[in-house]
Amino acid sequence: MARANVEQQPATGNTLIVMVGLGMAFLLFMAFLNVIKSGSLLSEANLLYAALIFYAGAGSLYLGFGVTGTDSYIKFASLMTWAGLLANTGAVAHRWYEAGHPPFASIYEMLLSFVWTLAALTLIAEKRYGVKVIGTVTMPVAIVGVILMQLLPSEVRPLVPALQSTWLHVHVTLAMLAYAACALSFALAMMFLIQDNMKTETFLAATSIFTVGIYAAVLMRFEKWGGLSVVAWDAQNKAEVFISRGVRLFVTIPDLGWLMLLVFAAVLAPLVLYVVSRVKKNESLLAIADRAVFISILLQTLALVFFLLRVRNGQYPSLDAEGLYATSLAASPFILSALVGGIFANLLYLLLLWRRADLERLLPDADALDRITYKTICIAFPLLTLMIAAGAYWANRAWGSYWNWDPKETWAAITWLVYAGYLHMRITRGWRGRRAAYFAILGFAVVMFTFFGVTYLLPGLHAYA
Amino acid sequence: MPMSLRSAWRNLWQTLSSIKTGVVLIILVVIFSAAGTVILQRPMTDPDDLQRAYSPAMLRFLDFTGLTDVFHTRWFVALLILVSCSIIAASVQRFPNAWRFYARPYKSPDENFRKALPTHAQIPLANNDEAQGLSAAERAFRKLGLKSEHIVRTDSFSLFAERNRISEMAVYMVHASLLLIFLGFIVDSLYGWRGFLMLSPGTASNQVEMKNGSLRTIPFSIRCDATGEDTYADGTPKRWWSKLAVVEGGREISRKEIVVNDPLVYQGLRFYQASWGRTGKLDRLIVNATPASGANRSTQEISLAMNQTVALDADTSVQLADFIPDFVVQDGRVYARSKDVANPAVHLIVTSKKTNTSVNVWLPNIPGVDENASSPYIFDPKDLKTGLYTGLQVSHEPGQFAVWAGVVLMAIGLTFVFYVVHMRFWVVPVVDANGRTLLWVGGTANRNRDAFEHKFKTVVEEIQMELKPELVACAQPKVTSITAAKIKISRTTIAGK
Repeated sequence: MARANVEQQPATGNTLIVMVGLGMAFLLFMAFLNVIKSGSLLSEANLLYAALIFYAGAGSLYLGFGVTGTDSYIKFASLMTWAGLLANTGAVAHRWYEAGHPPFASIYEMLLSFVWTLAALTLIAEKRYGVKVIGTVTMPVAIVGVILMQLLPSEVRPLVPALQSTWLHVHVTLAMLAYAACALSFALAMMFLIQDNMKTETFLAATSIFTVGIYAAVLMRFEKWGGLSVVAWDAQNKAEVFISRGVRLFVTIPDLGWLMLLVFAAVLAPLVLYVVSRVKKNESLLAIADRAVFISILLQTLALVFFLLRVRNGQYPSLDAEGLYATSLAASPFILSALVGGIFANLLYLLLLWRRADLERLLPDADALDRITYKTICIAFPLLTLMIAAGAYWANRAWGSYWNWDPKETWAAITWLVYAGYLHMRITRGWRGRRAAYFAILGFAVVMFTFFGVTYLLPGLHAYA
Repeated sequence: MPMSLRSAWRNLWQTLSSIKTGVVLIILVVIFSAAGTVILQRPMTDPDDLQRAYSPAMLRFLDFTGLTDVFHTRWFVALLILVSCSIIAASVQRFPNAWRFYARPYKSPDENFRKALPTHAQIPLANNDEAQGLSAAERAFRKLGLKSEHIVRTDSFSLFAERNRISEMAVYMVHASLLLIFLGFIVDSLYGWRGFLMLSPGTASNQVEMKNGSLRTIPFSIRCDATGEDTYADGTPKRWWSKLAVVEGGREISRKEIVVNDPLVYQGLRFYQASWGRTGKLDRLIVNATPASGANRSTQEISLAMNQTVALDADTSVQLADFIPDFVVQDGRVYARSKDVANPAVHLIVTSKKTNTSVNVWLPNIPGVDENASSPYIFDPKDLKTGLYTGLQVSHEPGQFAVWAGVVLMAIGLTFVFYVVHMRFWVVPVVDANGRTLLWVGGTANRNRDAFEHKFKTVVEEIQMELKPELVACAQPKVTSITAAKIKISRTTIAGK
């Protein structure tokens, strides 16, 4: 049936290219009017905005390609990625020049570099390995990254003494490269599972577990009577508010907690339906589960919109201090990216559900994907090793000891061990296919926890990022 | 019962060296270290915070099991040692095989091997001339940068060429590097120590305060000559620096200005800029003094150190008697509330020689305590310089060189493991069922087999090219068609090493 679908849509559809082109021309024209008004052309904000427009254009074309398989889209999508990468390079260079150090010192600068690496890797994967649909996954991530950057404090801050070291740049560059390679291996492992004829409903279970995890984490800040706690934000100083050393002030947004609870129930529903259908061996429940996913996406979008609206303006009470305090999206970048990430994962599932046959036609075969995943990890692992070594050397110069068992260090070591385990299983035990793919996915989950989870959840010396 | 003892030993050895044990141990390390990042750890947390976070019974349990200081408990160290033993056992068990492979390479493939080898090709030879074929293959290898060996057996000649045999040993390099790093770790946890040294400019000390509060005497002294802070325009700190000198037996050995990220190293001890601040002791007070009465009411600026007396004119002198960094007044007396320079007050004593009277002047004036009104001079405070201190972290880590050596070895080892491929080629003349002589070419690589297939194809094509001119020299058009014959490259399986 899916095959028939493909034939119904002849590969002419230039409508999308025209529409995307017009949209971008409009946005660029608006931006140009702005530039005339402000008078500065090559500022970092402008370059970043241009990059955003190009990435957005590329993203929609890649998505169009992922859905319809029209080959001409990919050419324009690559062109736009190139243009976006160029603008992004300009922004990185501008930042580097302004700050006088490579852009790795704050979350904003790290995101700037991360998006750059991601776009570059997308082009490499596409040209070198022929994985054309990869832009469908990476470009939306890049877009979210650039949007997040607009929310984060972006002024050039002077480096605190501990960060003034060449080893920092070595360490962070290696970390970025290693993490990007891990991300790529994760995407490839996912594609392998698609090509390996993994059942669509298994992907349903995986995305549901992921989304349930996200909302469970968000609900950890659920307060009595339906409030949701977020970090207070000092708009004037563009900084988080601290009660005492290392203790942030939280404000409680009333009623938002109830909404999050409702969405939690909505994202839990497909998972429950899946489990019930497995236990009762009732296939018809799966169709309901797919519909539940659709509903949950709508509710998640609602939650995102309300989160944006309530967090952007308004004064809220705090449990720890008298009076009302403001907050801002910049204070909760992790919640925001988690909400967006949840929607994104579910949309990817819908893409798979509706267009599986097309995806299978477009992706390289399972064997090739398995090998490329392994090769990417062969690149990621030495980079991880060197990253840890450079970090240890820097710690030795800054804190007086090469290993402090700081949470970030410990988790970096755990990541290293997981990938070492993967390599041993693959090389000595000949693990191929599914098991290796699961291992690659597990590795990336640990990487994500090390990158985001440790910063957000666990205290430690790595307070900078 | 020596037999059962031996078998028990063998069992233990086999368990230890199995990859399963290794994986289980690694999973245990992962679980416990993850626990160590989630549970609050004693060395990094305030005891009060711990008591607030856990119930007393829970805290007792966590303390008893060592979970509040996972990374320094005996059982975690024991676990790491077990992991080391597992690595050693696994390496030792697999090493002899690998070494045989490395030291005595398989150079002359027999028929079974030739049949089983997945990547091979057969090139027909003109005139069934073995020697010609082999020499062509040798030239082809030389062209591709491979040195080939003539293998002479009683009944056959063949060629063998290889590259990067060392890559077979790379895994052991990585394992050895891991053991080196562990060794450094163990040495440091046994013999290493960390402490703290606080110095004011102009002072020297050889007493390092350890974490538990005890003092440790080091064989030389560190003198601080100066210390300071540079700030950015907005006031955030840019740089903390201290000028240090090493003094041994009263002699100055060396000097260095240290900053964060650039420590002083002497005799295996490292001194890091860890903290910096003001002591709350007065270093220098600058005041303007103006006579309260008289014709000549010119102002003079004077600078006073603690307890220093300065003459203001022929008769009057002033002494800095007291400095209180954070004062409060209670019952007509002045007390210090804290050592922070938050609300400072200075006590000056103005003495007249002639009348032999002294007046207590307080800055700022404290009603009920000061006698500022009766002072012959009016004092106006200009500047207050409090003392500075520099906090130095001292560490002794004799094992770190093993760690760095291990890191370098690991980097080299990993490069070999992932990017250096051991490839081998064999060329054997064989006679097929029709009695024709063929050149059997086989090859194998220990990793990255796809790329190797390419390489193998080039080798085969190169051999053909080398054969061609000879064929042309023979000037037999009939034979050229044979060279054009399809080269069969079979690839039966990719699985397994």
